[in-house]
Amino acid sequence: MVMSGEFERRWENRRQRVRTAGDEARESYYGLPVIHKAHWDAYIIVYFFVGGISGAANTIASLARLAGGKDSESITRIGRYLSTAMLVPSVVCLILDLKKPERFLNMLRIVKLRSPMSVGTWILVTSSFFMGLLTADQARKDGLLGRSNMMTRTLQRLPMRLIDVLGIIPSLFLAGYTGVLLAATAVPLWTKNHLLMGPLFLASAFSNAAAAIALIMGLKRNDVSDAKHRVERLDVAAMMAELSLLVAFKSGLTRTEAAPIETGRIGKVNRFGVLVGGIGFPLLLHGASMLRGKHSPRLISILASTAVLIGGYLFRYVMVIAGHKSADDPKATFEMTRKR
Amino acid sequence: MVSSAERNRSRTGAREGAMGFLTDTTLCIGCKACEVACKQWNQLPADDFGFTGHSYDNTNDLAAETWRHVSFVEQIADGEGARPTSLRAFQSNWLMMSDVCKHCVNAGCLEACPTGAIIRTEFDTVVIQQDICNGCGYCVPACPFGVPALSPIDNKAHKCTLCYDRLKGGMEPACAKACPTDSIQFGLVDELMERAGQRVASLNDRGVDGAYIYGDRETGGTHGIDGLNAFFILTAPSEVYNLPAEPELPQDKTFSGYASTILAAAVFSIGAALSLRGR
Repeated sequence: MVMSGEFERRWENRRQRVRTAGDEARESYYGLPVIHKAHWDAYIIVYFFVGGISGAANTIASLARLAGGKDSESITRIGRYLSTAMLVPSVVCLILDLKKPERFLNMLRIVKLRSPMSVGTWILVTSSFFMGLLTADQARKDGLLGRSNMMTRTLQRLPMRLIDVLGIIPSLFLAGYTGVLLAATAVPLWTKNHLLMGPLFLASAFSNAAAAIALIMGLKRNDVSDAKHRVERLDVAAMMAELSLLVAFKSGLTRTEAAPIETGRIGKVNRFGVLVGGIGFPLLLHGASMLRGKHSPRLISILASTAVLIGGYLFRYVMVIAGHKSADDPKATFEMTRKR
Repeated sequence: MVSSAERNRSRTGAREGAMGFLTDTTLCIGCKACEVACKQWNQLPADDFGFTGHSYDNTNDLAAETWRHVSFVEQIADGEGARPTSLRAFQSNWLMMSDVCKHCVNAGCLEACPTGAIIRTEFDTVVIQQDICNGCGYCVPACPFGVPALSPIDNKAHKCTLCYDRLKGGMEPACAKACPTDSIQFGLVDELMERAGQRVASLNDRGVDGAYIYGDRETGGTHGIDGLNAFFILTAPSEVYNLPAEPELPQDKTFSGYASTILAAAVFSIGAALSLRGR
């Protein structure tokens, strides 16, 4: 016997109190959703968060090695370990979301460029390959693999510089493709500004990864403060980019389409968690230090980085949950698909 | 001289030999025989028994276990909000429509599917292969009509197969077979389109002004979807039946989305390299 509780009847979407069924029946089908929302919950939100950090952390590690000069070694080291450490929960979350682990293998049957989900799977596989090699090489340099054995000798023989440069491509894609994944759906909030979604998730991933690296540097006693300062400079730039993309994203939505990210509990989380707490507050902290011409004190730096990371998670939380609300709103769908 | 088949193909982009449904809502009496026949043939479990409270429609929506859904649009109030005091001669203030998967010519669910579980069959219909679906759920928000859904029983996506098994056996789909008024008609899309055109013309002749086809390149099958193999004759704005007037194919945004992301990635990488540069 099937449990009735498992079926979604969407009672919550029945007509608004002030409107009669007659009103609803003239403009929509009793206010019921036109499209189905995705089932995505915490696993996918966490994946968006850690996957973004993983991709951006490896990119930052590679760029620091290529452009950072001698005292950037600490950035590269932390970035490498962080990228792999975040890649593991990414894959775990995706597999848990499918309920049955072996089902993940079905993703590897085909390559389909039109499907961001398929592309994303292969990006994850490619990233694992590059990040695994680069992190192993980092471990070798740090002496974690022993002095001279088969593994270290093999790693030494590989063209690591080339692998480093090539690895940037899947890493960047891993950090940004999640935005395109959401954009290529029928959900009004996600698809309306489809050109901004990838850049938005990418900017957020950059700022989260920079904050995570700065946080680890801050927590370590012997931090190299100039390297940390440069990572924080990157974080500030990424946050500014994210903020301007968020403004553009918001201005591209009609009032109905923007309702899920502006009203109710999600609206509050967006305003205070993402915009004020996750971007405004850390920008203010870093900005104050920069105006005084000094590097941020350790405690301020830790505080700012933590705020960025919480804001980064909440940004993905808001985007996913508000997308579900957007999918449930027939007015938003009809506004977007009205006869032109 | 253009043959009627060619003319109809230019109306929908349906491939040659495509099979589909014509659901003529002007003939629907809301008996739900299609819902029952579908459940029975496809052995779909019952969904929640309960009252929705908003109308006589207690099925509510297409779902993983509900592949035909008869909607009951009761035009309770007129444009000014007054209750009608007399029955209209035609359709008597009631619109009924048996909703179903549209088997789009270019289907959003099919293009979104990362496993290749969703295929286009030799009948030009769209089917989810259950042994390959891994329950990622991406087809669910990728459908502009809200058709596929994940089942809470096996966590896989399900939707109408246009009775693929029956077609293989030379039979028409269960819903079309059961429909007592021929509101649901099954056949070659070209022929059905031809028939729908004649029906709309005949309805217009007899004074039904609003009748039109939903699912050609002008309505429903718009913006890259290129037509619906399961299409409808409607007599009111599509929104009333919970159908979007001009839906888009979501995957048309994939490549431009990638492009803007690649552009941003280049800009951000340069910015990041500049931020990180040191002595």
